[in-house]
Parts: sequence; C-alpha cells; structure tokens
Amino acid sequence: MSLFGLPILGLITFLPAAGAVLVACMPSSRPDLIRRAALGTALVVWVMSLLLLAAFASGQAGFQYKEAFDWIPSFGIQYKVGVDGLSVLMVVLTTTLTWISILASFGPIKDRVKGYMISFLVLEVGMIGVFVALDLFLFYIFWEIVLVPMYLIIGIWGGSNRIYATMKFVLYTLVGSLLMLVAILATAFAYQAAHGGSWVGAFDYEQLQSFAQAGSFGNNFQLVAFVALFLAFAIKVPMFPFHTWLPDAHTEAPTAGSVILAGVLLKLGAYGLIRFAVPLFPYAAHTFAGPIIVLSVIAIVYGAVVSIVQPDLKRLVAYSSVSHMGFVTLGIFVFSAAALQGAILQMINHGLITGGLFLLVGVIYERTHDRTIAKMGGLAATMPIWATVFGFFILASAGLPGLSGFVGEFLVFVGSFGVAPVVAVASIIVMVLAATYLLWMFQRVALGTMSDFLRGLGDHLTDLTRVEAITLAPLVFLIVVLGIFPSVALDLLSGSVRGFLAAAGVPVG
Amino acid sequence: MNWSDLTTAAPVVLAVLVAAAILVVDLALPGRRRLVTAVALVGLAIVAAAIVLLAQSGRHETAFGGAYTLDGLTTFLDLLFVAIAALTILFATDYLAPRGLPMAEFAAVLVFAITGAMLVAGSADLLLLFVALELMVLPGYLLAGFARNDPYSTEGAIKYFLLGSFSSAILLFGLAYVWGTTGSTRISDVAAALAVVAASHSIQPGLAMGLAFMTTGVAFKMAAVPFHYWTPDAYQGSPTPVTAYLSVGPKIGAFAIALRLFVGALGPLKADWLPVVIVLAILTMTLGNLVAITQDNVKRMLAYSSIAHTGYILVGLAAFAGGTKGLETQALQAVLFYGAAYTFMNMGAFAVIAALQRRPGVSSRISTFAGLGRRDPWLGALMALFLLSLTGIPPLAGFWAKAYVVVAAVQAGGWLTVLAVVAMLNAAAAAFYYLRVVVYMYMRDPEGEPVVSSPGLLFRVGLAATGIATLAFGLFPAFVTLAGNAASALGS
Repeated sequence: MSLFGLPILGLITFLPAAGAVLVACMPSSRPDLIRRAALGTALVVWVMSLLLLAAFASGQAGFQYKEAFDWIPSFGIQYKVGVDGLSVLMVVLTTTLTWISILASFGPIKDRVKGYMISFLVLEVGMIGVFVALDLFLFYIFWEIVLVPMYLIIGIWGGSNRIYATMKFVLYTLVGSLLMLVAILATAFAYQAAHGGSWVGAFDYEQLQSFAQAGSFGNNFQLVAFVALFLAFAIKVPMFPFHTWLPDAHTEAPTAGSVILAGVLLKLGAYGLIRFAVPLFPYAAHTFAGPIIVLSVIAIVYGAVVSIVQPDLKRLVAYSSVSHMGFVTLGIFVFSAAALQGAILQMINHGLITGGLFLLVGVIYERTHDRTIAKMGGLAATMPIWATVFGFFILASAGLPGLSGFVGEFLVFVGSFGVAPVVAVASIIVMVLAATYLLWMFQRVALGTMSDFLRGLGDHLTDLTRVEAITLAPLVFLIVVLGIFPSVALDLLSGSVRGFLAAAGVPVG
Repeated sequence: MNWSDLTTAAPVVLAVLVAAAILVVDLALPGRRRLVTAVALVGLAIVAAAIVLLAQSGRHETAFGGAYTLDGLTTFLDLLFVAIAALTILFATDYLAPRGLPMAEFAAVLVFAITGAMLVAGSADLLLLFVALELMVLPGYLLAGFARNDPYSTEGAIKYFLLGSFSSAILLFGLAYVWGTTGSTRISDVAAALAVVAASHSIQPGLAMGLAFMTTGVAFKMAAVPFHYWTPDAYQGSPTPVTAYLSVGPKIGAFAIALRLFVGALGPLKADWLPVVIVLAILTMTLGNLVAITQDNVKRMLAYSSIAHTGYILVGLAAFAGGTKGLETQALQAVLFYGAAYTFMNMGAFAVIAALQRRPGVSSRISTFAGLGRRDPWLGALMALFLLSLTGIPPLAGFWAKAYVVVAAVQAGGWLTVLAVVAMLNAAAAAFYYLRVVVYMYMRDPEGEPVVSSPGLLFRVGLAATGIATLAFGLFPAFVTLAGNAASALGS
C-alpha cells in the first residue's frame, strides 16, 4: 500500500540516507550550507512522517503501508516494512526529535560539521528502520546501523571523558545485540524446521507471530530465546542493572546526542520488548514477568534516589531517565491494556520531556561551559524565559496533571494496581521522590541569589535565542496537547494494544 | 598427460607462465618497475579470464589421471587467489620502491605462491595436495624475509620457515598414515575406504594417529590456537603488503586443504574430528581476541585478530561436521563466503597501514593513526569501513560472513549453538580493539609530526576494490550464490 502512489515508508526511511550522500558531496568549507541541507532533509522527512500519521487509519489491527520484496531468497530474508499505531507514533517522535536536534546543533557544533550532520542523518535511517522493519533480520540490521553514528557522535563531539563513554556504550549494546542475533536466527530455524525446511517466511514478523500465536514455539525454546532478546532490549532501555552505560553516555554526548539518546534510542529497547520479545515468546514473558517487574520497580526507585544526589545537571537527567523508563517496562510486563497504553505514552512523553530538559541544560552549558549544579543559582533573574521553560519541563517530568508526563504514569499505576497493588503503591511513592529531585534542582539552579560563578560570566548569560526557542516550542506544544488530549495518541494505539494483549495471551476486555 | 589435461588445468599452467614472463622481462629490461607490474597484472587478468571461461564452458572433470579436479570449488578458490595476488601487487607498488626492494622478484615469487594455492584448490590426490602446499608456502617464507636488511623481517621469516617446515612434515606424516590404512592417495578412494571404516565404528590406532597429525599440521598452517605462535612475529616483521598477503593467501590456502582433506577425504569420519574442531575454534577465537585487545601495534593487533577470524571460520567447519545431511552444503558455503569476505576486508586494513608506511620509518603503532580521519578523510573512512566490517557491523561484508557462519552453527544445534554464542561474545569483545583504532583516527589529535601519505594510482585502485567489495559483498546475494555453487561441488 502506498500514499499518493509513493512507497511512503521506504521514502521516509531512506530519504535521510540520500540527504547524507548530498551532504557528503558538499565542500567542508561551507558549514552553513551543510547545516541547512541536513536540516532541510530532516524537515522533509518530518513532514512526510506527519502525512503518514494523518493518513494512518487508527483502530485497525495489523500493519499498514506495507512494502515487501525478497532480499535474500535462499534464507527467506525480505525487505519488509509496515507500520501499526505504535510504530507510526515512534516514527513521528523520531523525525520530530531529529530535526530539533539538528537545529539545536547549529550553534554548539562548529568543528567537523559535515561528519556530524552525516552521522545524524544515518542515525535517522537506522532509527526509523528499526521502527518500521517487519523482518527480523532487517530489524537487526537497522538496529546495528544505529550504533555506529551514535558511537561517533559521542566519541568525536562529546565531552572530556567521551572515549570511555562511547566505548562503554558500544560494548554494552553490542553484547546484547549479538545475543539477539543468535536468538533471531534460532527463532527462524524453529520456524523453518516446523515448515519442512522451507525458509519462506522464517524471518517474517507476521508469519512468526501467527506461528507463535498457535503456541508452536516450545516452552524451553521460548525461555532461552526470550532471555537473549530480553538482554539486548534491557541493555538498551536500560533496565537496572544494565543501566551503567547510560549516565556516562548521556553526560559525555553533545546536547543533540543526548536528546536523541534519551528521546529515541532508549525507546528502541522498549519497542523491541513490545513488538518482538513478548508477542513471539508469551510463555517465557509470563514466566519471567515477576522478576522483570521487580527489576522495573528497583529501576524506578533507584533511579530517583540516585538522581537526588547527582552534582551534574546532565547526570541528574540521565538517572531520572532510568527511573522513568522503569515505568515503561513495568507497564509492559503487567499485561493489562491500561498499563500498556501508559507505557507507550510514557515512551513518547519521556522522549519529549527528557529531550527538552537536555536541550535546556545544553543552553546553560553553551553559556557557562559548566553543568555543576552547585555552581549555579539565580538564573531566573538573568534568563527569565529560559527559567520559565525549564520550570515547565521540570513540572512535566515530575508528573504534573494536565501535562503529558502525568497521563502515562497514571495509566501505568491504574493498570498495574489490579495486578500488583504493592508495586503500584511503591511506584506512586516515587512520584514524591521525583518531585523532590526535580524541584530541588530547579531551586538550586534557577532561584535564589546569583552565584559568584555566574556573576563572573556577566553578559554571556543571555536568554534563549530564537533558534533555541524554535527547538523547544514544538516539545512544549506536544506536552500540553498530549497532557490534555491523551486520546489523540491512545486512539492510534488501540489496534497495537489489542494485538499485543492477544499475543501475550491476555483476554481482551 | 594430454592436451585435455592441460586445458583443464589451464589456469595453473598460465599462472606459471606469468611468473616466468615476469622473470624474463626483468632479465631483459632490468629495473623497470612499472613494466614488471604491468606484466604481472595483465598476466593475472589473463589467468582470471581463463578461470571464468573454463567455468562457463561447464567443464567439470579431472585431469592427470584423477589427481587434479576442476569443479565449482576450484573455480571459486582460484578466483579468490588471483584476486589476492593482484591486490598484493597493487599494494606493493608504493611500498617496495621507497625501500629499494625489487619489484620483479616480489611479483614472480608471489605468483608462484598463488600457483601453489590454486593447485591446492584443485587437488584430488593427497600427494598432489602436499606438493601444492609446499609450492604455496615456500615462496611465502621468501616474501616474509623480503626486507632482508630489516632484522624483524628476517626474524619473522625464520620463525615462519622453521615452524612451517615442521608442520609440513607433521602433515606429511599424517598423510602417510592415511595412505597406509586406506591404501590409496586418491581423495575419492580414501573417502570410500573411510566410509567403510566409519560404518564399522572401529578406528585403528594408525588411522587415529594419522588424523591427529593431519589436524595438527593443518591447524599450524591456518594458525589455529595453540599452533599459532609463528603468526604474530611473521606478520609483524614482514613488509606490510606481504603481511596483507600472508594473512589471507596461505590462510585461505590452509582452509582449501581443510576442505579437500577433511571434508573431501576425511568426511566420513567427521563425527570423530568434530570435537577437536570445536575445541580449536573456541580456543582460537577467544585467545586471538583476548591477546589482540592488549596490542599497541596495529599490525600485530591485526595478526592476532586474523587468528580470531580463523576461529570463526572453524565454527563454519564445525557446523559442517555437526550438521545433518541437508545443512552440510550451507555450512561450507558459510566457510567459503567468510573466507572471501575476510580476504577483502583484511587486505584492505593492511593496505591502509601500508599506505601510512609509504615513507620508510613510519611505525605501525596505534599512535600513527591518531587524527587520520582528519588528515586524510578518505583513507580514514576506508580504514573505518574495514574495521567496522571486521567487527561485524551490518550491512558490511564481515557482518554477513559472521551471520552465515552463525546461521549454520545454530541450525546444526546442540553444542554448536553454544559455539555460536561463544562466537558472538567474541565478536563483541573484538569490537573493543577494532574500534580503538577508530577512536584514534577520529577522536584524537595527531601526536608529533603527522604522517602524510598520498598513495599512487595503482594503490588507490586496490584500496577502492577492497572497499567496494567490503561494502557490496553481503548486500548482493549473487556472491553468496557463488559460494553456494562452490560448496555444492564438494557434494557431501
């Protein structure tokens, strides 16, 4: 199926690659041209993804706008893409955050602009590809394509400890993803062996899912394959105790890198759990649900507690991500409609809110070249607009009703209360902790008298520039809209949620 | 011997003529580097054309009374060997001249070595196999010591020579035992005799001895742990283009022996040699990678990494032995595809080192690579490409190679699934040392005086060829089909 006669998903996925080639052909001596070309590409992709969103028929089960052709027929590997409500939302989140990130890099990135923009556009190919791939092998390839540009973005344009951070990021992710590859191959063989040795459809997600629905994957096989997939996704989310790469990567990455890392890359893990790990191996998912819920709650509490004592703004936001993403995994593994809706909303909200927070921290870093909370204070006096927007994002992150952060977490509470009341209550208490670390941070940075350090900077402390405001405005808009009308997203998701619950073997009410 | 025999073995005959032509030209017009290079490259092109024409004529036959065979495997390996020789010559042009090393001898010796390798690929007789092997490795010793005023080169060559001769003797000893128990040196006859032995489930001590000696000998040649000790010194000491050749030519040659010997002749006994291959694979991958992590010299690091890659290929061989009937061809296809992919990405990586070392005296320490991505964007990007491919990042050739090997192993099931997991964990560990070079190239500033390098035209052609192969190999299924045809020639 196509939109206006065009293979819309293929275009959205590979247009950034064409943009990367275009940028590569431009002379390095014209950084402004390169910046505009990259931004232009990202904006075109964004508009196309919005068209896709508008044309998407919500409420339907199954995938839309599918494109497929045989790629490596001898192994039944296809190029097959398609979207359901979940993936279409993730694609739009990705395209939105990508152009914002590219625009936000105009000022801070002055060195090797060409390589940077190419990395970002290639990164976008990988991210969109992961969300639209309907062939397990293709999914794996896009998954790995994401790794390289982010490795370069952190390693080349990152902070002082960037090499340590980027190697840690790569090695953690790679261990997980290679285990995932073995699991994907084993899954395909199980399918192939059950179909008389024919490879046709062995990597096809839809075929595999109906195969799994019929209970055709043996229980022991499910346990092993699920663990391998789960490890890959849990490292990416990241779940406690696989989270230790995250604070380093976030802290050392350039601002835009942090935005994409928090906004999209962490979602890849959660998406993998929802799309692949649970529906393909429901028996194993139910078997391991208990321990995973416990790990999620630990992540929620631990992330929040550790956030309180972080001395660095970015580190604080990074640890708060661990806590917020804990809600996502919790929402997935209690297997209820409300909790899953909450989890998916939380994925989007976290992308918007944390993305915004990283942008705002980046604004401060641009002016002060420091992120130490103890050195800040009284910024509201010189940068009132910045402080207002910062306050808005702080409240959104803390889960203020009326803003989108609240809806996601609330739905997870509601959904998990019926299944595990203790867990739900424990998570609610964390709301208080979240308010503590966020508001305390806001107080130390923005309120009070101005610190000597900031006073010494004098005129450098200018308020938000127009470009910075443009990067933040869409996020503010979306946070308000999704906070007041969450049904906008929830309607889109209904098909995916029903499909997930049916695949997970939960009776749909 | 008749005309038909010579036609069947035409590529080998032509290769010998090319080597002779190089020597004659150099004798008549001494010191003409360009001319000699041209003769060698044109000659190799003719050899390649002959291989392709023979393959297209559909001839599948034996020659010389059944000692030499022309089948899909011969064609595939012959083409690979010719490509290796051509690339080595392209990479040597810029390296030998500044050091005052002769080109003609280099090219002639190299083509002789390749002739040996091609003969190995077509061997249908154990005796021919051994003679061909010696023809392949003896020039290799010369090449390793080619920089005769460099003590490291000499040291590496002597170690390579001593251990190489030692392992050849061991292999020959093993072959003798097999001949003694089966009464034939013809591979098909040996396989038939061993099928009877395998059916009776009673392996005589003599045959077991033969198996052990042959395994040891081949493991030496392919540099599998714990028979790898010659590799790092030989690789590090050799002139860099020679290292590029040594890391692929004799290694693929050794795997050709493994295919003809273990798959062809000893195939019926595969259940007996499977455990040994599994242990060798695990040791080879793990030790190769662990030691590579600690290296500061990129050449030495790539030497250890090539040991690790031997391990991955052995996983494919193990998948052949452990798989059921239908999966055997697939496993062999994985082995061959890995060999080809490894050839191009590994030669490419060594070629970049050679490009940096164009000016004599530049070391291959990792600090040489500092800031390369900025000083020479193309060379840096190519090196990054080769390293990412060696790591196994999709969609590059190295990824597909690993994927096919792991596909075969997972499919064989049982202990081989464990082997696949070990291979993948190793691949993750290997990312550390490959990416460390990328870190130096892109994330550090050059230390001291930056190394300037502007490779010549031929060198660039070679780099472009390896780069394109690394990019395109996996994306287009045609290459896999090619390997598949070669694998089915072994017809299990």
